[in-house]
Parts: sequence; C-alpha cells; structure tokens
Amino acid sequence: MSVIGKSITRVDGVDRVTGRLQYAVDTVLPRMLHAAVVRSTKAHARIQRVDVSGARAMPGVHAVITGQDVPCLIGGMIADQPFLATDKVRFVGEPVVAVAAETELQAQMAADRVIVEYEDLPAVFDMEEALAPGAPLVHEQPSSYRRIAKCQAHDGSNLCHLHEFTTGAEGVERAFAQAERVFEDTFAVPAVSHTAMEPFAAVAVCNPVSGEYTIWAATDAPHRRLSEIAAALGIGSEKIRIIVTAMGGGFGGRGAAIAEMLAVALAKFTDGRPVKVVFSREEVLAASQTRVAAKLTVRTAVTTDGRILARAADMLWDNGAYTSKSPEVAARGGMTVVGPYRVPNISIRSRLVYTNKQPSGAFRGFGTTQTSYACEVHMERIAVELGLDPLEFRLKNGYVEGDSHFCGQRLTGVGLAESLKRAAASVGWGRQKPVVGPGKRYGRGIACMIKGTNTPTVSSCIVRLVADGRLHVLTSSVEIGAGQKTVMSQFAAEASGVTIESVRVSQPDTSVTPFDFGCTSSRSTFHMGNAIRLACEDMRARLFVTAASVFGLPAEGFDLTDSVLSHASGLTLGLREALKKMGARGFEFMGQGTYTPAGSPLLKRDPGNTADDSIFWLFVTHAAEVEVDMETGRVRVLHIAAAHDLGRAINPLNCIQQIEGSVVMGSSLALLEELKLDRGRVCNDSLLDYKISSSEDMPERIDPIIIESDNPEAPWGAKGVGEPAAAATAPAIANAVHAACGVWLRDMPFTPERVLAAIMAQATPEKTVDGHRSS
Amino acid sequence: MLASGLNGITLRVNGRDHELAVAANVTLLEALRENLGLTGTKEGCGHGDCGACIVLMDGHAVNACLVLAVDASGRDIVTIEGLAEGGQLHPLQQAFLDKGAVQCGFCSSGMMLSAKALLDANPDADAELIRRELSGVLCRCGTYPRVIEAVLSVENGINRSGGEG
Ligand code: FES
Ligand code: FES
Repeated sequence: MSVIGKSITRVDGVDRVTGRLQYAVDTVLPRMLHAAVVRSTKAHARIQRVDVSGARAMPGVHAVITGQDVPCLIGGMIADQPFLATDKVRFVGEPVVAVAAETELQAQMAADRVIVEYEDLPAVFDMEEALAPGAPLVHEQPSSYRRIAKCQAHDGSNLCHLHEFTTGAEGVERAFAQAERVFEDTFAVPAVSHTAMEPFAAVAVCNPVSGEYTIWAATDAPHRRLSEIAAALGIGSEKIRIIVTAMGGGFGGRGAAIAEMLAVALAKFTDGRPVKVVFSREEVLAASQTRVAAKLTVRTAVTTDGRILARAADMLWDNGAYTSKSPEVAARGGMTVVGPYRVPNISIRSRLVYTNKQPSGAFRGFGTTQTSYACEVHMERIAVELGLDPLEFRLKNGYVEGDSHFCGQRLTGVGLAESLKRAAASVGWGRQKPVVGPGKRYGRGIACMIKGTNTPTVSSCIVRLVADGRLHVLTSSVEIGAGQKTVMSQFAAEASGVTIESVRVSQPDTSVTPFDFGCTSSRSTFHMGNAIRLACEDMRARLFVTAASVFGLPAEGFDLTDSVLSHASGLTLGLREALKKMGARGFEFMGQGTYTPAGSPLLKRDPGNTADDSIFWLFVTHAAEVEVDMETGRVRVLHIAAAHDLGRAINPLNCIQQIEGSVVMGSSLALLEELKLDRGRVCNDSLLDYKISSSEDMPERIDPIIIESDNPEAPWGAKGVGEPAAAATAPAIANAVHAACGVWLRDMPFTPERVLAAIMAQATPEKTVDGHRSS
Repeated sequence: MLASGLNGITLRVNGRDHELAVAANVTLLEALRENLGLTGTKEGCGHGDCGACIVLMDGHAVNACLVLAVDASGRDIVTIEGLAEGGQLHPLQQAFLDKGAVQCGFCSSGMMLSAKALLDANPDADAELIRRELSGVLCRCGTYPRVIEAVLSVENGINRSGGEG
C-alpha cells in the first residue's frame, strides 16, 4: 500500500506529545557546567580593559575567558566574527567574556563581577550613512578575513557585499526611456526575530588529551556547522562531532553557530567538563541574529496595457556587525524582487552594509519576505494606476509552463496561474464587497511570489535493512519541527518496500550520518527524498541478488512491497522470514544514495548568464480579505487563502501545517513585528514588548490550497513548502488595505499608528508626484 | 527552613510526592526541570510571556516560571509527563497528533495543559473561547488553527461517548 500522499501521523509523535523529546535546552551530561556571557553595552567601542579577577574568585567558577583566550573568527561566508570580542566591540550584545560555573546562577553572579572598560567610537546604524564617505568603519580591514570567493572585500568602506545583475544595461536603459509608463516605489522592511520558541542552546565538551570536541546542538545543518567551527578553530574537521538534538523551531535562525560558538570557546578551558550555554529570551531577541532589514527601491517600465518591459531594483540590506548568510540573502534572495514574471530587461543592484547592530542572517524565505513585499505592492500600484484588474495584470505577465526564467533556465512545473486563480476565487475576487460595520472598510488583495532553492547542493543517505526487517535510515536531514522525519519515513517505506512502521529515521550525528547540505531553502524533501530513493534502490538491488542465489531464482523477478518479498515465479515470504533464510546472524543489506541536481537537464540555461538557476521553483499566491478600522487604523485580517504549488503533497497534513503556520507567521510579520532600536540597542527584548502572533492575533480564517505541478526530477513529485508562505502574506494584506481605504503601505509592519497616519495623510490633499511619465 | 538555608518542600507531581530542598527563589519550573528532571515543561522566556512552561496546579493552568517552588509545596501539580495514563495517550494528546496540532512541539506541553484546564472548566468551549483562552501560549510554528480543531474534536469525542455536554 502506497504511503505517498497520505497524512501519516508524526512518526515521533508520541515522544512529541508526552514531553519526552530531548531538545538542546534539555541536554544534561555528567559533570556539566553552565555558562553565562558578559555582553557589550556599547554599539561601537574600543575595549580598554577587561578585569575578570573578581569573577574568577566567585564560588563554583571554573573558567572565565576573554577574546584573548580564543582568538578565532567564524562565519560561513566571511569569517569576520570573533567568538568573543577582542580589541573592539561592534554591537550592543556582542559577547565579551564567557564564564563557566557549576550552576547557572553561579555563572551569572560571576559574570556580574566582570569589569569591562570601553572607549566609545562613533557608530553607524543607518545603511545610507554607513555607505557615505568618511563614515566610521565597522571593520577596518575586511580583506584580512577568510572568505568564500564570491564575497569580495571592500576595504575602507562599510560595503560588506555587492551583487549586481543585468540582462544588458543598454536594453534596460532603452526600455525605461521608451516606456509609456514608469513606476517607482521604495519600501522598508525592518529587522525581526525568528523567535523560535526554543531559545538558542548548545552543549560542548573538549577532550583535553585529543583536543576533540563533541557538540550537542539544535542546528539546521550539522555538517556545515562542523566545517565552520573547524575552520574557526583552525583544526581538522575530524576533530569535531556534532550530535543534533530535537529542536524547537528554526525558521532560518539555526543557520549559524550562535550558542555553539560560545560553548566551544568555553569547553577548551574546563578540563574536559561539558559546558552548556542557554540563551535567555532577551539574548535571543537582542544578541543573536535577525532577519536582514532592507530598503528596496523598485522601478518598472510598462506599456499602458500592462506589459512589463523592464524592472530595475536598487536594494540596501543591513548586515549588522558580523556576517552570517546575509551576502547570499542579498544576492540570491535579492533576485526574487523580479517576481514570478516574464521581464525582458532587468537590472539589479544589491548592497549589503555593515552597521553597528545585531547581526542578520537567513530567515524563512531567504530574502523573499522582503522582496516579495516590495515587488507585489509595487505591482499592485501599477495595476491600479493603469486601471487594470490586479489579478489579470499578474496573470498576463506571470510565468507559464515552458517560459524562460531570466537566468535562461526553461521553467518546468509552473503552477503559478492556477495558484493565482484559486486563491482569488477563494476570497471572492471580483465579487461585490460585503457590507461592514460603521467606520470600517473592507478590501481584498492578492500577491504572488516565486522561490527557488539553492542549487546545486548535495544530500547523502545510507539505509540499512537489518535482520528483524527494520529499515534504518541514516540521514543528516534534521527534524526541525516541520515533520521531516515523517516524510523521510514515507519516502523510505515507499522506495524500499518495507512498511512505514518498519522504518526508523536516525537523529543526525556527523560522526555517523552522511553529509547533507541542511534543512534550509525548502530543500530537504526534494534533495533527501531523492537520496533516500537512490539508497533504497541500491539496497533492493543487493537484497535481490542475494535472494536470487539463496532461493535459486533469477534476480529480475523479485519484488519487495509492504515488507513481503515475492518473486514472479510465485514465491512469497514475509521479509523477516526471508531475511532469516538469507544470511547468518547480523547480516544486513545496505544501500547508499547521494543526490545532487548538478548536471540535471532541468538546469540547462543560457551560457554566460550569471543569475541563479534552481532545480525547482515554488509558486505561491496569497489572497487576503481585511477590514480596516478608519478611526484606529487597526487592520483585521478576516481571511487568507494560501495557494501553494508544491509539486505533490507527500503528507498533506504536514503541508497544511507548513502553509497555515507560515501564514500565521506572515501575518505576524505584516502587522506586529519589528525590533525597535535606540542607537543600536534593542528596546523590545521581551516577548511582552516584541509581540508575535498569538491565537487571537492570527487571521480569522486561513484556507490552505495545495496546487500540484510536474517536476520530473522531484521525488514522487514533491518540490518543497517550508518557506514561501511567510513572504506572500504581507503584500496580500497591504494590497487588501489599499483596496479597502486607498493607502499604500510601504513600510512594515502595518501597525495601527502607521495605517492611521497613512489614512490621515491621504485625507489631507497632497501634491501629486504623478508626472507625465514617472510616478 | 533547613539548616542549609534551603526550604524543605513536598512537591506532588503527577500523583507522586517528592521531598525537595530548594532555595526560596527557585521557581516551580526550575524545580520540575532541574530537581526532578521533568524536562517536558519548557522555558521559552522565564517571564510569564510565552506559556511554554504552563502546568496544572490544583487543576488550574499556571506559568511555572512565575510560581515559586515553595508556594507549590503541597499543591497538586500535573505536567505533560503525567497527562497520559495507564499507557494510553490522553484524548488531547491523541487529538493533537491526529489533527496536526504539534509541529516542533516546544509549545505543545503548555498548549495541551492549557487546553485541559479549559476543557475541565468548560467542556463545550466553542472555537472563539478556545482561541481566546489559549492565547497565552505562543506557538511560532503557528499551529493555532490545528490546536483549535484538536480541542474541538476532543469535545465532540466526549459528547459522542455519552459524557455531559
Ligand atoms: S517560560 Fe514561563 S511563560 Fe515563558
Ligand atoms: S509547535 Fe513549535 S512552537 Fe508550537
């Protein structure tokens, strides 16, 4: 019986609902010490003096370390972040001193005794100011940092990374010069916190003789974290082992060695005793990583009948003080500002800027919560000003099967039009507006988006069919909370022919489970699904060869389905019984699979084109119904219809969880969330002040709509679903607000104050900037 | 107070008494997680803002991070580890699984125990009431719609099996 397309209950569900799962924060080891961190109170300052003597004298203290003790720089793309600040601090909250003690309280009390003296330096918080000539430099000499080839250093400037792309400057210029209409808008998207409910935590132990580290961590890519930490420590990767714990959500926030870095730093100084680091919620909000704040200027040339001729975007992305994955967000993520549209002329400039703020990094959607907002509100305004139906305008320009993406790749499996139509239908698009109460206005809005996946990346998998008939799947694909283990089990059962109850999916452990690029970029289902398929095929081939010789039958006729081994000749045996006959005790059948899309015919693209291709593209449309209170500016989201082209739903309930969950997050980002800064200091560093959506704030109705499409390389048709929904919700809401009351929302979040200010500004007649050509 | 300066307390957790010696400032959350190793109760903030630490105390949902262990002495505490009985999942646990109300699960113990307190007090709470009453538990995975469905399904189950309601 096929288990594909079935809403199989979470395979680890019983542990999950009985409180038995061990998250990183739950890790307890014999002789474990606890850490506390002294953090910078300055946004930019030279460290004059650090006095740790008082801390060292406190009871229970085992280690008090400063940057001098661990002169290491970490960063997956640019290694610019010290484990602990050395000569200067670059953001409020930067770790300066770390303490390990018998108890958390003792560690904290010792940390309170540390004295750090600073000499203030001029700081930069605003991206434009940071780029202005003569601005204080966050990093004096970026070229001194270890970095990957595509991240060029810009010494003497706060420019961290520059990414430019054009289909041809001349063509773009000509298109803008000759266009009937040109539109331009600038949008601001704030830094927000991933706010996974489990705070960052890690435990590390260092063997004082071998110098080997073992790290227990909630991380989304254990093998990549391992290389980053090894490179930072300057030791071989064989000296590090990462054991992945259960994790309380990720959303991109577990894509860097945040708590791991501090645990590792301390572990070297505790005589082999394990050290546990747990972030407080304040530290999570103010001193970990954020979504990249951005300022996005988008220009579009169109014909009056709504054909897009050119798109230019100039984007500033706020890196904060240190570099995680933001260069890639600004570059690859930035390209999605073109949207899912056929645009013949494109010019994009993305600049990532160092500032004296909390570092930024990947966030669910990888740039699309910023770009899709800008693209789609801008698109809406174009449609409205040209007098076109916004849905028709999108359908007219949107990708269809076989179109070429601007990277030159021919698009396969394009469910965009269907997603647009079905989301629109769900909110009653084009129908008369319902009557709402006095002082309220109703509006419908729509927004769509495109999201690719980092390509090419690698996933490997090993399967072991053991004597009792169980199939062990060794994979480094982490269960981040989205149900990865369940979907992997479904793939493994389907591909191997054992029942799903017989499948066990391992917890990642870099010393045991093979390489996987990580649980990022909506890639796990597609990539690990393919690796599992290959591994199971490999295992079956070996099984059938042995079966052929044991049972004296040709290998070709064998089959394994629902844990029953059969042969065309009529042989039928339960798997356990068959295995008993097939080998001595301890005999097992293994299979190995490595999947990479590199070289796939689906990736064929124009030679010399520098835009990124993707082994699959996700297409998403959200449509919103809102009610705006004209007195208070409060936006009530009545309904979100969320149509997702995800290829095929392997586990429909899991997909619905992902879609609903990210709509909740998306509307939370749209209406509530912003890290408020005062000269680099996060003011709202509690969940009371940094509000995320509760059950009361979420949209009143969410309709997930699953759209299917064909991607020939997708395992059982599945593309992915994790990221996009968080991006399309905000622009759908913004556009619905416009439909309701005529204001354009170009800054997130859409707080009552902001919406009300826009309503008031509109009520007082303003000079129109709509010249004859540019608006 | 004991000679050590600690307080001797009796914590009755999931039907079992535990004699503990704790400092006056130790929270119920710390006593459960650290002294008793009951890590199913989670800390998401430590300030009463997230609900991850919710347990039942004399049948009421309380934020364990806000209750001092000494004040919980002698009270009847139920944590997520005590919700399943006789090797059977509690109907709420089963419903949370069946309806997909659990994603990463970090909020789930707080969510299920809040739901239990709500249902015990109000066996036919409607969707609106559930939504309001559970708003003290934050779920970043956004399981709220599934949670409401799960809680409603338990109510209907109770109704079907002939309970009051
Ligand atoms: S940990 Fe108690 S409410 Fe957050
Ligand atoms: S299930 Fe992840 S926080 Fe609720």
